[in-house]
Amino acid sequence: MSLLRIEGLELTIGDTRILEDIALSLDAGDVLGVVGESGSGKSLTALSIIGLLPEGARLSGRIAIDGREVVGASESALTDLRGDTVGMIFQEPMTALNPLMTIGDQVAETIVVHRRAGWSGARKTAAAVLERVGLPSSQISPDRYPHELSGGQRQRVGIAMAVALKPRLLIADEPTTALDVTTQAQILALLRALARDEEMGLILISHDLAVVAQMADTIAVMQGGRIVEQGESSAIPGRLKHPYSRALFEASTHLPPKRARERGEMLLSVSNVVRDYPLPRRAFWEAKRALRAVDDVTFCIDRGENVGLVGESGCGKSTLARAIVGLETVQSGQIMLAGRPVAGLHNTAFITRRDMQMVFQDPYGSFNPRHKVGRLVAEPLHLLGRDAPDGAARSRSVTNALEQVGLGSADADKFIHEFSGGQRQRIALARALITAPALVVLDEAVSALDVSIRAQILDLLAELSGRLGLSYLFISHDLHVVRAITDRVLVMRAGRIVEAGATETVFASPRHAYTRALIAAAPTFGRA
Amino acid sequence: MTAFLFQRALSFAISVVVASLVVFVVLEVVPGDPAAFMLGLNAAPDTVAALREQLGLDAPVWMRYLGWIGGIFTGELGTSYTYRVPVAELIAARLWVSVPLAAYALTLSTLIAFPVGILAAARRGSAVDAGVMGGTQLGIAVPNFWFAMLLVLVFSVTLRWFSAGGFPGWDAGAFEGLRALTLPAIALALPQAAILARVMRSALLDTLEEDYIRTARAKGLTRGQALWRHAVRNALIPVLTILGLQFSFLLAGAIIIENVFFLPGLGRLVFQAISARDLIVVRSVVMLLVIAVILVNFLVEIAYSLVDPRLGRRV
Repeated sequence: MSLLRIEGLELTIGDTRILEDIALSLDAGDVLGVVGESGSGKSLTALSIIGLLPEGARLSGRIAIDGREVVGASESALTDLRGDTVGMIFQEPMTALNPLMTIGDQVAETIVVHRRAGWSGARKTAAAVLERVGLPSSQISPDRYPHELSGGQRQRVGIAMAVALKPRLLIADEPTTALDVTTQAQILALLRALARDEEMGLILISHDLAVVAQMADTIAVMQGGRIVEQGESSAIPGRLKHPYSRALFEASTHLPPKRARERGEMLLSVSNVVRDYPLPRRAFWEAKRALRAVDDVTFCIDRGENVGLVGESGCGKSTLARAIVGLETVQSGQIMLAGRPVAGLHNTAFITRRDMQMVFQDPYGSFNPRHKVGRLVAEPLHLLGRDAPDGAARSRSVTNALEQVGLGSADADKFIHEFSGGQRQRIALARALITAPALVVLDEAVSALDVSIRAQILDLLAELSGRLGLSYLFISHDLHVVRAITDRVLVMRAGRIVEAGATETVFASPRHAYTRALIAAAPTFGRA
Repeated sequence: MTAFLFQRALSFAISVVVASLVVFVVLEVVPGDPAAFMLGLNAAPDTVAALREQLGLDAPVWMRYLGWIGGIFTGELGTSYTYRVPVAELIAARLWVSVPLAAYALTLSTLIAFPVGILAAARRGSAVDAGVMGGTQLGIAVPNFWFAMLLVLVFSVTLRWFSAGGFPGWDAGAFEGLRALTLPAIALALPQAAILARVMRSALLDTLEEDYIRTARAKGLTRGQALWRHAVRNALIPVLTILGLQFSFLLAGAIIIENVFFLPGLGRLVFQAISARDLIVVRSVVMLLVIAVILVNFLVEIAYSLVDPRLGRRV
């Protein structure tokens, strides 16, 4: 008998049908991968299994776990099930833990609510479980609070809570999406080991086909609330038949055509840049401390050259990017764009900054929601000072910028909430292009996008840099994307650049151990 | 934690010093001659001169400031010009009414607001929630002196459970004292409870949306368990902020209620002293209130760090 059997599952919330005719099954000890883009219904499928749906949700069909029916079960039957028979791990390790409770107590709580055990016994078990997930008490005390842990450590606590009672079924919803690649590899290895050792069934939900391909025995591809294809994974490529699955696979391995381009003179030069953040004193009488976010960084970008900057979160890459566009003051070193210093007197900074624009990661947070798109896109024009176009010329340049990124003049009169994530990132690009810059700094500009949208934006970026002769500083944690779009790559770790060189050379034969670790950790197809 | 406490205590001390300078400058230096100000336009010159001497106004400004500050520490605050009694005695007597009244009102408002706010958040969108929202709206809108008069009508005039006003003093026994303060405390507490309940409700609704509540439910906690174990404590920070503000307000802001119930509290003292231009009383009472407000804020910050482990260690 299968551990989990879902048949004819339908979910409606309000008047909207979210899931249609979902059928899945999973045996103990197996891994089922569920892949799909945002809005495909993969998370709600998971929440249906543990009966934690938003208000107004109506569920029909059958979900049997170990022969027990979930659909229509009473709330008390469901609370018995959750955490005991089924454990669940969520995406955001930063917010998924209660900030006011020690990690040991949060793990122990699972045991206390189900086993009616005393806290002291539960805490002992919790310490053992934390040790099992790689947080031994000798290093990470169970008395610590979540804010004292890194993202990967917090995700281990999340896993410990889910597996404390050795559930039959473990559901992991995007468990590594918010983590760095090396941490992701560790967490995935841990999940695999737990599923194998404890004979658990594991459902791994992800937008990342490569992650799922590595892990899963069987795979289900979801689109628009339906499962469009289901089958054995065996590291995929040739196995996917459905047109949507094929498109998804192609988008996630998509490489925009690289054109050989004429390289011009030096555009950006960064020499010996240091950025310190002051830290509060630990005690009144101690000397002031500082965190060195960027440590003696030197590199340059030529005209028409695309340079990638990779590294894990907290390595200082975003700080460096903000320093380059003049949003951070540096403690020492110099940043020059086309021979002029970026920081400095107000007027010279203006002249310098019009040649350089930035695109940010979050397509939702980086626009003022009360302004129309036309105004948002036109905003950088103030950098042109007296040369800024006004009246009809201004709207012509807005239209021009929008058309360059594949939008139309009619879009200038809309508000930002009327656009999808991919379209917003196009608008962010239009805003960057309006001053006809020579350099565009892209800080994780495609990280928040679904794979198919990401492929389109990457094509657009490649096309624009070819046509307009732009240079990019492309910052990303995603090595695949960096490899696709850049000519040269810089690898950053703890504020320093540890390796630099032509992209293909660095990827093919990395010299620094850290670069090798990064490349090895990045999920790829065909490496089951 | 020690460094945190030290830092907070230091900022408390600095705030008090700055506040005392401001109070002194505004009341003693800016009006020109305080003696002439206190006595009004028609005062005889020799009366003014006598008061000047009593106040020590011929000394340099910095000496007068130091004298006043020293007085605060030794309790030598001078003699009230209108009451003809030492200011320290005057204030001490009033504090014995105002502090218990404020504490009583705050306790009542907390006892009402917490359950009501938590209930409304737990039953969001239900009839209970709608009732709480409507009731608290009314509680905020209706002035507390009207509540006070209503309470007097029902409980003193009709039912005769409480006296309509006055304070027998603590010598008459703790029970009698508390009985006299009950109606004023209720009148003060109701509007405060309405505000606090709304803050509690909205803070809880925010925390109930948090990811860690979903995590808790996925561990097998019931809705109620998740609410009590995980949401309530996380919702306390904004509630503590409002509580601190309310205590400061209750200490001095009870003037109207003290008048309705004829209570000899600080609010009435300050009101009468200002009316009589008795600057000797005013400056000390104002300073006392300033210290009380800063002290309450200090305590609230300590309470934050007890509630939230992230705050105490982030120094």
